[in-house]
Amino acid sequence: MTIRTRLSLWYAGVLTASLLVIGVGTYRELDEQLRHNHRREPEEHAILETGELILQVGLPAVLLGLAGGWWLTRRALAPMAELTEAINKIHERNLREPLSRTGNGDELDRLTEVFNGMLARLNDSFNRTREFTLHASHELKTPLTVLCGETETALRDESLSAAERERAASRLDELRRLARIVDGLTLLAKADAGQVALKLEPVRLDELVRDNFADAQILAEPHGIQVELAACEEITVCGDRHRLRQLLLNLADNAVKYNQPHGQVTMSLRRAKDAAEFNIANSGPGISPEVLPRVFDRFFRGDPAHSPTVDGCGLGLSIVQWIVSAHNGTIKIESVPSKLTTVIVRLPLAHENKPPL
Amino acid sequence: MRILVVEDEKKTASFVRKALQAEGFAVDVCHNGDDALAATRATPFDVIVLDIMLPGRDGLSVLRQLRERKNTTPVLLLSARGEVNERVEGLNAGADDYLPKPFELAELVARVRALTRRSGENKSTVLRVADLTLDTVTHRAQRGGVDIELTAREYRLLEFLIRSPGRLCGRMMILEKVWDYDFDPGTNLVDVYVRRLREKIDANFEPKLLHTVRGAGYVLKEQP
Repeated sequence: MTIRTRLSLWYAGVLTASLLVIGVGTYRELDEQLRHNHRREPEEHAILETGELILQVGLPAVLLGLAGGWWLTRRALAPMAELTEAINKIHERNLREPLSRTGNGDELDRLTEVFNGMLARLNDSFNRTREFTLHASHELKTPLTVLCGETETALRDESLSAAERERAASRLDELRRLARIVDGLTLLAKADAGQVALKLEPVRLDELVRDNFADAQILAEPHGIQVELAACEEITVCGDRHRLRQLLLNLADNAVKYNQPHGQVTMSLRRAKDAAEFNIANSGPGISPEVLPRVFDRFFRGDPAHSPTVDGCGLGLSIVQWIVSAHNGTIKIESVPSKLTTVIVRLPLAHENKPPL
Repeated sequence: MRILVVEDEKKTASFVRKALQAEGFAVDVCHNGDDALAATRATPFDVIVLDIMLPGRDGLSVLRQLRERKNTTPVLLLSARGEVNERVEGLNAGADDYLPKPFELAELVARVRALTRRSGENKSTVLRVADLTLDTVTHRAQRGGVDIELTAREYRLLEFLIRSPGRLCGRMMILEKVWDYDFDPGTNLVDVYVRRLREKIDANFEPKLLHTVRGAGYVLKEQP
């Protein structure tokens, strides 16, 4: 049944009910007047009575009409609200799941069908982009292997002058940076395509955090940065040990890299309700509010004026974000520029973590 | 020592061969899986360097075939696929080590070297390079009879280096063996640790033992 038919039918029902009310009311009022008919009344009284009549009968009818109209539109628009809610939940990762249809063949059902068609086309196009990235990173690896290998071979040549050696070594450094970028891209492209399987097992997060704390101290030492482990509660999560270590090291490395000389890094691991909460704060220049929502974007580099000499592959936080979401966790960054920047990672506790899809 | 390199990409095969020959290995090269299986039937090799992506029969299939034939030659897998769990898949298929492309040549040589040594590893509990000693039972390090305090991680780093004296150790290999990282974190963690270790074992002593090979890795040896 189309919405038009449905609306027409409901409206007819409401109208009939209103007319009935008016009819019954008018009938009773007229009946009463007829009984007192013998008393003739002046003209002005008749006008007053007519007004009263309209008030007594008309008001309930108007109210009923309003209520009926409200109910009617609400019923008619309910599927629309559900559809809006469903569309609101769509993001690039669930394009494969079509919206559920009511199946009653109305205009909204037809709209859902058309919308699902659009989702499928979008999904195709996203897939093509992902496949392209994946193929591109594979294709890049072979020539990169050759370039790195040949440069290394050249470096082994004893007859090279110091200047030539320096040039070759610097070329090799850049090639390796390129290789790391390609590695990161491959990982993210695979993650996007849902092709990375995590090896899930119970992991003592506190042990990983302690290890990471030791590494962070070493990384911080040359810059005179103090690292502190404020709390480290015994917590087990269900996760992939290697990925979790990658996550922690990446965050620690960032906290040191984006800090100021002789700054401070504080990390903590605490149980927060039903989650493990890892916090890592640094006293660096921080991230301005307009840049903050974009820091997880691939190859995003905040204000170049703030981080002129920091090197890296530009994919670290994107990888971090992927690891967190693959573990059904959440990540958030809070920053008070030139005071404190805190990264907050929450991971579900072991018994509550369902394996990700 | 005879190494078989199975790699279809000619340039890669060529520099791998050169690097291994420079280390004193005899090197044979095959460009596809079937040739590799034929070669292993004819010649006993000490190590096989096997690329996974080969035309026709792929590397994993060659590896399974080898192991079915009870051929226990150590195999180092190379791969450009970069699958996170490919390492596990390869090791399950019977590989002894795995190196993702693009790899560092020094890394490859060091790993091949490690595989050739696998059987005859130093069984002694006190390891020694010049006057530097490391007791693997008591975890005690000494240089010239003076005790050196090491953190757990520094100990593992030193143990790893001292077990391959005079041999180049690549950064990835160190990350894998000392930190158990199967990814390149893109940090200078190894360099910073090596610097600290150097301060402890070399700063107050002569000759210097821990050397950096620019663009390649580190080596613990007596001669500069």
